[in-house]
Amino acid sequence: MSEAAPAAALVPDRVVLPESAEEVQAVVLEAGEAGTRLLPAGRGTWLGAGGWGVDPGTRSEPGGGGEAGGRSESGGGTDNPRIVSTERLDAVHHYEPADLTLTAGAGIGLDHLARVLEPNGQWLPFDGPACDTGTLGAAVASGVSGPLSARYGATRDNVLGLEVVTGDGRILRIGGRVVKNVAGYDLVRLFTGSRGSLGVITRVSVRLFPRPDADVTLLFGGDAAGAVAAARRVCTHEVPVAAVEVIEGDEGGVGRAAAVAVRLLGGVDEVDESRARIVAAAGADPSAALEGGESRAFHERRIGWEAGAGVVARLAALPDRLAETLACARAVAAQTGGATSADAMQGVVRVKGSCGEGDLAALAEGLLRGRREMAAAGGTLTLSQAPAEVAARVGWTGGGGEEGGLTSRIKSLFDPDSTLAPSCP
Amino acid sequence: MIPKALAVSLTGICGPDGVIADRDRLLVYESDALTAYRHRPGAVVLPRTTDEVRRAVQAITRHGLPIVPRGAGTGLSGGAVPLGGAVVIGTARMNRILSIDAANRRAVLQPGVINAELSAAAAAHGLYYAPDPSSQTACTIGGNVAENSGGPHCLKYGVTSRYVTGLTVVLADGSVVRLGGQGREAPGYDLVGLFVGSEGCFGIATEIEVGLLPVPEGVRTLLGIFDRIEDAGRAVSDIVSAGLLPAAMEIIDGPTIRAVEDSVFAAGYPTDAEAALVIEFDGLEAGLDAEAARAAEFCRCAGAREVRSAKDEEERLALWKGRKKAFGAMGRIAPDLLVQDATVPRTTLPAILKGISEIGKRYGLVVANVFHAGDGNLHPNILFDRRDEDELERVERASKEIMQICVDSGGTITGEHGVGLDKKHHMPLIYGEAELDTMWGIRRVFDPGEVLNPGKVLPEETDPAARASRDDGAVGEKPAAAPAPAHA
Ligand SMILES: Cc1cc2nc3c(=O)[nH]c(=O)nc-3n(C[C@H](O)[C@H](O)[C@H](O)COP(=O)(O)OP(=O)(O)OC[C@H]3O[C@@H](n4cnc5c(N)ncnc54)[C@H](O)[C@@H]3O)c2cc1C
Repeated sequence: MSEAAPAAALVPDRVVLPESAEEVQAVVLEAGEAGTRLLPAGRGTWLGAGGWGVDPGTRSEPGGGGEAGGRSESGGGTDNPRIVSTERLDAVHHYEPADLTLTAGAGIGLDHLARVLEPNGQWLPFDGPACDTGTLGAAVASGVSGPLSARYGATRDNVLGLEVVTGDGRILRIGGRVVKNVAGYDLVRLFTGSRGSLGVITRVSVRLFPRPDADVTLLFGGDAAGAVAAARRVCTHEVPVAAVEVIEGDEGGVGRAAAVAVRLLGGVDEVDESRARIVAAAGADPSAALEGGESRAFHERRIGWEAGAGVVARLAALPDRLAETLACARAVAAQTGGATSADAMQGVVRVKGSCGEGDLAALAEGLLRGRREMAAAGGTLTLSQAPAEVAARVGWTGGGGEEGGLTSRIKSLFDPDSTLAPSCP
Repeated sequence: MIPKALAVSLTGICGPDGVIADRDRLLVYESDALTAYRHRPGAVVLPRTTDEVRRAVQAITRHGLPIVPRGAGTGLSGGAVPLGGAVVIGTARMNRILSIDAANRRAVLQPGVINAELSAAAAAHGLYYAPDPSSQTACTIGGNVAENSGGPHCLKYGVTSRYVTGLTVVLADGSVVRLGGQGREAPGYDLVGLFVGSEGCFGIATEIEVGLLPVPEGVRTLLGIFDRIEDAGRAVSDIVSAGLLPAAMEIIDGPTIRAVEDSVFAAGYPTDAEAALVIEFDGLEAGLDAEAARAAEFCRCAGAREVRSAKDEEERLALWKGRKKAFGAMGRIAPDLLVQDATVPRTTLPAILKGISEIGKRYGLVVANVFHAGDGNLHPNILFDRRDEDELERVERASKEIMQICVDSGGTITGEHGVGLDKKHHMPLIYGEAELDTMWGIRRVFDPGEVLNPGKVLPEETDPAARASRDDGAVGEKPAAAPAPAHA
């Protein structure tokens, strides 16, 4: 969690735990009338992000929670966002393994979901930040994808349908549960990545995938510059790979300054062949090769890589600018005593670190400098975790692009009174 | 016909070659490939650049006329049909590939680039553009973006939306916005995703950035021949649930096979068969044979009387021929063709196919199915003659029943052709009032005056504004939630 003390006005007065979309609707309508702001959440894994100064550890459940729109003890009109958690909306509503689709409550934990799918040899390849212990709804709301998106598509490509309660209390069921659907405008994509600013996601339909027979990760150790060059070679190689990451420091686990982790997924023959050809292209034997469960565990651990860090940023530019993006990320990492992890296929570099009270101004400066450098090359720097003061100075995203005010008009269509605390992402 | 002053200013913007106003030449712009709907446009303009589009939009809206964007006119839902004397903005002259960035596997192009031309150009870099509608040698990328088009290989690779990473769009008020771009990591709402599939109602895409993929090294193609179409449906569902991921799985049914074999496109499919299933695997050479062998075994277990496999590219093209030429061949055996486009959960395919054939029999109609089976995306095509009024009425009733059984199975009314004009009255089958109201709202976020492609996608009677004026001010109430069977 952020080390900055939460501003007193932002401590939530309560957490409500509705058990159905109708109950969420009642909570939203009541909040709208009372002028209370709502903060949609799953398990609260990432509530520190967004600058709410909310510590999920302090939550309470007055009246046992769960009662539809239970009465607010603090009365309306305060500035305190009330957390509306989807945690109890955790049922699996529809799962037909042979269709490779599933519909579940937004609050189902992704860990729990993985256990539901496992016996059928299937999975939901969401590997964005916190997709290990977070909820399905939160993964969709944050819309952030991980390295596997090169192979399986981004989060948005695998969400088929949603049930949402909008900021003004309408229940919408959008999309469907079939894999191809172009009926009407694509509101599902609008809600994916909307970060709770348009509505509370209550139910999600997703596309599933068969777990591949073979899972191998090749780890190539080297110096930082060599690692980037090797990663780029793999990315532009003819052999399709599932993910390529550049991990600096000890976490690569190969005892070198940096490691390139190349993940191969597929049939046994296909993976064997890919492995031989990638090794030939790399011009060196891998420092380590992880197979089957080991490979899987290695990547599953990395999903939680940022957990608990006080400062988390995400830098993105075109993949062939990986060296520059990484250099920019390292500068931020140096300031926060942190580390970087790069998804070479997408050109995305994540930074995690921490920040002492004294360094806030310098950190803000450093982040702004990084963002300017990234923007100059057509890239972006977004914050996903930072002390409130830093976030206030730097801004989470650095503002919208040239979209001519569409964003704010969309926000007011779904949440005209700004009942939902998150502003446009 | 448009006012003289408008014709003059459009000529000033797009040049004399860029404006079409004479009646004969307007004829081809009256409809798209679903020729049942025809309306004459006021005029057609053919701009060359974003700036010309912007100025044309401003000129047309100053005269209070609606605008319809148009690519190649291969749409199958009446999307590009100009209602209300609209001026068509065609992208035929915006056909340049602006850049191919091989290092990042992406390309930037104008919207009028033909789908297949992009892959042809990218081939020099060992890359291609994955979404491959069967119309790919004719349709434009702009049309693909507007319809969120799919294609046979979208089973493995996903539809258009997955590949569009950035857009330059001219809005109805003549402003130019840039959405996404340089990959799709841009923070904020996924406005690119929202725009894709907006069927020309949100804006005119004038520059499109897309992702490309490396051309797969190997391909294996199989053709399963079945005596019962349900068996072919079962083979598809078994293959998917066994964890195999073919690049494509397409079914061609008996009536379609016979139409193809009777035509100049004869592909050598047995004419007494009730279904042919084309299955393709692609990727690294290693392992492809084993995958193909497993799929062939599933076909046999499901009752295939024969499974052929292609030994070389020539044979592969022959196996595909019957699928690719199906629409063309059907066009030759009946004066009119009603193309449906529903998606159902894959496991319901056998039952739905049976249901469709029963409905056809009951109404005495020929229903020919040719479709993207792996995705559960059906195209039951009803062959008829519109001069026969009784038949026309049976067609409408049968088509509605088919739609209904697809929706009842958990499916949807369109998988890839879009709603357009043709399916807008089916929208209430899958969406309630709250969802339709919201879609109207989103449309107005982009285009408050309903200038762009009016009368498409959403049925007028669901317009909350119209309802408000009818009910005289009852809009302030919170709309109630309406059930939508398609979801849960
Ligand atoms: C034989 C045949 C086979 C087909 N197979 C498939 C298939 O396998 N999969 C599939 O998905 N479809 C298929 N289609 C349907 C059709 O080809 C697609 O919908 C295609 O994307 C339409 O492209 P177009 O350029 O012809 O667009 P048009 O028909 O000209 O326009 C379609 C819609 O796009 C809008 N539009 C066009 N350009 C722009 C732009 N630049 N900006 C904003 N809006 C724009 C129009 O207003 C209209 O609403 C097939 C059609 C035929 C005739």
